[in-house]
Amino acid sequence: MKALVIDDSRVMRKIVGSILSGVGFETLEAENGQVALDTMAAHHDIVLCCIDWNMPVMTGFEFVVQVRKRAQWRDVTLMMVTTEGEQDQIVRALAAGAHEYIIKPFTPEAILDKLQFLGLVEVQETV
Amino acid sequence: MTIPATWEPLSAVDPVLTIAQDLFTTMIDGEPGHLNPWAGADPDLEDPRYTWVDVNGPVVTRVMLTASRVTGERLTRALLGMDTVEYVCDADFADAVGEIANVVGGNVKSLVTNPGALTLPVVTHERPDMDTATCLLETYFGWRGAPLGVGLWALT
Repeated sequence: MKALVIDDSRVMRKIVGSILSGVGFETLEAENGQVALDTMAAHHDIVLCCIDWNMPVMTGFEFVVQVRKRAQWRDVTLMMVTTEGEQDQIVRALAAGAHEYIIKPFTPEAILDKLQFLGLVEVQETV
Repeated sequence: MTIPATWEPLSAVDPVLTIAQDLFTTMIDGEPGHLNPWAGADPDLEDPRYTWVDVNGPVVTRVMLTASRVTGERLTRALLGMDTVEYVCDADFADAVGEIANVVGGNVKSLVTNPGALTLPVVTHERPDMDTATCLLETYFGWRGAPLGVGLWALT
């Protein structure tokens, strides 16, 4: 499965990408929403986007709005990964079509919990 | 400390320390206990770098981190999982310390009444001119023995 990590910070792209790779995703990267749209158009098998909010050129929120306008991307899971933690921001993103919302700073476990909830990774049984 | 009327109470270091400790525990150290209030007199930072983000709104709030270049390089290596002696280029340095400021600033934003957009991080060698700004908080934390300055400013 392919995942697209969208963040203007290379550090954050690497951290999120590493977590996703660890559970089997092939990860692609984009440094803003516009590059992410171009990447989506070139890779039709992306199933998950992890999206920062504040980015130059096109914000993560604008990206979510653009993705949700296109029927061919209706099955792509959109997860905000951002410092924007106010309730109204979360509501805006979810109303625009994001499925999940993670506030930085986060632990790898927090992302994995969300992916399990979304059915994108299998629940790990503890012995 | 003067606090504009548009602010929620922010009378102590604690909220910012908690935000910073959460960040360092989850994304830098992988365990708690390595970021604490700085003990002793305010330190002199060698070859400092200033990193800030602004929270726009009725009052523009600047969140600024100050660290020596060496400490910033250590933070960069920790965030990027680099070896302790690996060379840190300027781009990685700015990206890493900028993201730290971004995460702290984004969480501080949740403490502000009617916040606006968060700006992208800026990293400079020179302390930005804030002669007309109101200092809301200026303190130091210690990270693995190295001082990190943290300041909140209301810009006018």
